[in-house]
Amino acid sequence: MSCNSNVIRVLPPVGQEQRVPVHLMPCEIEHNGSAQVSEYFTATMKDRKHEKTVSFRGRGLKGQELSCPQGYTGLVLKEVNKPGSDQEDRTVRISSVFNKLTYWNLETPPNSDDTIVMAMDWPELAEAIHGPVDD
Amino acid sequence: MDLGPFDADNSVSCRLSSHIPDVCKTEDCCLGIDEAGRGPVLGPMVYGICFCPVSKKDDLKDLKVADSKTLTETERENLFQKLDEARSYIGWALQILSPNTISTSMLQRSKYNLNALSHDTAIGLVQYALDSGVQLTEVFVDTVGPAEKYEEKLSQLFPGVKVTVRPKADSLFPVVSAASICAKVARDRVVKGWNFAEQLGEVDSDYGSGYPNDPKTKAWLLKYLDPVFGYPQFVRFSWSTAQTLMDSKSVTVHWDDDDEDGEKAAQRQNNRSMLSYFSASSGANDQTPAHQPHRFFTDRRLKSLDAL
Repeated sequence: MSCNSNVIRVLPPVGQEQRVPVHLMPCEIEHNGSAQVSEYFTATMKDRKHEKTVSFRGRGLKGQELSCPQGYTGLVLKEVNKPGSDQEDRTVRISSVFNKLTYWNLETPPNSDDTIVMAMDWPELAEAIHGPVDD
Repeated sequence: MDLGPFDADNSVSCRLSSHIPDVCKTEDCCLGIDEAGRGPVLGPMVYGICFCPVSKKDDLKDLKVADSKTLTETERENLFQKLDEARSYIGWALQILSPNTISTSMLQRSKYNLNALSHDTAIGLVQYALDSGVQLTEVFVDTVGPAEKYEEKLSQLFPGVKVTVRPKADSLFPVVSAASICAKVARDRVVKGWNFAEQLGEVDSDYGSGYPNDPKTKAWLLKYLDPVFGYPQFVRFSWSTAQTLMDSKSVTVHWDDDDEDGEKAAQRQNNRSMLSYFSASSGANDQTPAHQPHRFFTDRRLKSLDAL
């Protein structure tokens, strides 16, 4: 873990901020850029009761929608200029915002033990630990 | 043959069936099983059963049904028409295994191979006939695998039914030929009118036979290769033809159950593999973090972040 003291500047979105669907995939895709998500993925998603199903690269996925914790907003950031060294400040711009996302498991039905579901416990706990104490 | 239920959702497996003739519920019946579209990299695999009273075997023969592979598409359509006209004593049922079902089964964490899938589908169809009240006494099955073991398996599952499993049964027994015609007609119609769930605009339907060695199929697979998603669900991702093309022309995707070398996987994820603890350079404790985060955080894969 590097300990950088340089600044990260977050710029507001250009024009109206965009809300886009966000999917958390159970695999690592060696790709950083645009993809035809609505054409291939969203178009083939099936909604059954509390479970969504889809397939990616021939593998069956099951997922569900998850809201961001209360008071939090998800941000998709894009780097404006890639810095030449890690000493330079970095500038990112908000490309879109989200308050819910769909996370996917490989074959396993979504459940309350899923890492991402449990991770959402933290803000409430953090508030209890670090928040101001009432007398 | 109404393919509507399958067209409505062609990502899953679907059963289609004729009305069950009354005579099949009162008289001893024979039943044939065959499949269509096992080899192609495109489209579904269709399993078919056809059944009629044993006493009507000769009538079935007179319809001049033959192995579907020796017939042209028009001949098959005509013969299916004849089978349909004989609905007072001939019944059929089909199980359409969508290409997506084939891909996701074969690529499952606990692999479910095509032979097991085939056997289970055939068994499911025979059970369907029995559950519908068909008085089965004889079953004839076409097979690609070892016939004897399969015959034994089916005989055990369906006591009281005489099971005959033969390679090329579709050219030996008219009731199997009839099943092969039903299956092949359904597969041809489904492939021809494939309803792409993906939003790909006008899709070139000149995909040839769907067999991997067909130049038209090859050209189609090259044309419709997406760098991220690979292929539409019309393609069987579990076929080596599709895998090879994706390996060379699409971005790499890693799954947690990949057969990847542990050391390599750890390197990619920037973790330390077990082996690194044995190497000379890592002996010093300069890499040990000041404190280990609590399990609460590691369980949730939460990390405190001070850089992007």
